[in-house]
Amino acid sequence: MSEQRVVAVRTDRVWKVFEHDGIAVDAVRDVSLEIQRGEFVVLAGPSGSGKTTLLNLLGGLTAPTRGAVWIDGQELTAMKERQRARLRLERVGFVFQAYNLLPVLTALENAEFSLLLRGVPAEERKRKVQELFQRIGIGGLEDRRPSKLSGGQQQRVAVARAVVGEPALVLADEPTANLDSASSIALLDVMTTLNEDLGTTFVFATHDQRLMERARRLIRLVDGAVESDTRRPSTKGA
Amino acid sequence: MRRAKLLARLALRNVRRQTRRSILTASAMVLGVAVLVFSRALGDGAHEDWIDQGVRLGKGHIAIQHPRFQQSRHLDDRLTPRALALAERALAEPDIAARVTAVAPRLEIQGLANSATGAIPVFVTGVDPEIEAGFSKLGDRVVEGRYLEDGDRLHAFVGQRLAERLDLELDSRLVLTGQDATGEIAGQFVRVVGIFRTGLPEADEGIVHIPLRTAQEWLQVGGAVTTLAVLVASGWDMPAVLDDLDAALAEDASEVAALGWREAMPELDAAIRIDDYGDYLFHLILFVIVGLAIVNTVLMSVLYRTREFGVLRALGLTKGETAGVVFGEGVLLTLVSGLLGMVVGFAFTWVFFRNGLDYSGLLDSEFTISGILLEPVIVPIFRMVQVFQSLGSIVVIGVLASLYPAYRATRIDVAEAMKFEA
Repeated sequence: MSEQRVVAVRTDRVWKVFEHDGIAVDAVRDVSLEIQRGEFVVLAGPSGSGKTTLLNLLGGLTAPTRGAVWIDGQELTAMKERQRARLRLERVGFVFQAYNLLPVLTALENAEFSLLLRGVPAEERKRKVQELFQRIGIGGLEDRRPSKLSGGQQQRVAVARAVVGEPALVLADEPTANLDSASSIALLDVMTTLNEDLGTTFVFATHDQRLMERARRLIRLVDGAVESDTRRPSTKGA
Repeated sequence: MRRAKLLARLALRNVRRQTRRSILTASAMVLGVAVLVFSRALGDGAHEDWIDQGVRLGKGHIAIQHPRFQQSRHLDDRLTPRALALAERALAEPDIAARVTAVAPRLEIQGLANSATGAIPVFVTGVDPEIEAGFSKLGDRVVEGRYLEDGDRLHAFVGQRLAERLDLELDSRLVLTGQDATGEIAGQFVRVVGIFRTGLPEADEGIVHIPLRTAQEWLQVGGAVTTLAVLVASGWDMPAVLDDLDAALAEDASEVAALGWREAMPELDAAIRIDDYGDYLFHLILFVIVGLAIVNTVLMSVLYRTREFGVLRALGLTKGETAGVVFGEGVLLTLVSGLLGMVVGFAFTWVFFRNGLDYSGLLDSEFTISGILLEPVIVPIFRMVQVFQSLGSIVVIGVLASLYPAYRATRIDVAEAMKFEA
């Protein structure tokens, strides 16, 4: 029985051009990609290579200057703002460098945010978040506000928020950049496990060598263009 | 619904999050609304007093007269017996009678007061002493003698200034002259039975009261009067009573008409309107300042939380919903502090000024507005319309002050917001 390949996100000749003081800068140049469900992809490259901009394009946070983006088969670029918001809510999870938890909500409320917006009943929300918190090692911290959590704990809550709704795609921008070494490794373990056990699709933008080493697909960007796109076999069970 | 609850929860917690800033802004709102409530209660109290003083000394809240009398002041334009009967029937209608507290018949004429010393133009009013004593309250301002009484006939009640200028004392003789109903100049001898002082030069020199029957005989008008002066239970009822009287008198509109105090005393009406405009301008300036404070707080909150709003958008909130969070914060802050300001304003006014604000210490002499002598004590009045005005102002400020910050929240570029340094 052949493995069915489902495309999580696809770009077709995407460009992003910023203008600064009348000077056009190509942040992303003619990028065509296809990322399958369950992939663990790292976008790597030096600062200014366009990693974050490409990530924002994949998540519909910014519109391409040219080209098109599809998430789960739906063309983002043809959608209205409300439809894009709905798509982000249902199909995309984000993990940011600075965690970006909502400070007025508890860890549980932050994690269940997208479920609540999607109308999932309270009981089910709570159960899902608690199970996930146990799985990623922050069980018992549900009622704490972000200010009462360490950086590593906050980033795990952010990961929980991103994956709890079982999105087609989780986009993570430098998720380990603000963490110490031990917390980084622990977080990477969490995300690797989620990818391998739950099949969550991760796309990272990072400088972190440890993260690059775990990638099963490494896309190197230089000056906004794809320089190389290499795949490695799964390390599961290694 | 769940979304709305989530947005409301976010708004509420964000207001509580910046406690000190929220309290400072709320304080401005509390103070602003409290001042509004206080000044409206005092302003309405002052205006009620002006109107009360004015209508009592003048023609009541409503004057029932011949339509031309207000301009002509001529006896030819007195109320005919038919018109008088119609007016009395109208006033006796239960719905109108229930809201009327006094009706004073008057025969008014411009004439001359003559003594051995000289002659001075005066406004002579023939009155029913018993009714008039409770109406114009000139009797409360007696400095010598007494007010007119039932049974008086050739008696006059005069102002102190007139007495001084004509060298009159109690029991002095005085001759009033004026044009009677036949067009002839007629004189009437009277004796001074009392002298009053209002502090208002025009009244103290220009008003003479004599018994109605004496005036009717002197001016040869039979039982006619020129005016039925009507007091209503509350000045706020006047427009409705006036409308009802207008309707009831419509069958003889060429002979009799009801005139509200605003038409009968246009100077007083103008003075109140000017005072109201001044108040409204003051309130507008006050609320612009308070509104700017709220705009500043909510806008600062938006700018401070640019990344947070970016996250909300990234998580799936639409621009409108993100604006809703900001709008909710502004309106919540305004409503809560505004309602608190109303309570503070009413409580402060009630506790400290329910018996009146005495400003006599600020005045060197009597205080008059548009020919009306005012009491130097303002008793505040609380009315439901003040509550609605205050609530309306709060809602308007809340909405206006929150619109711009909410709009700004929709303009946040999500990708840019994520670059924002913490």
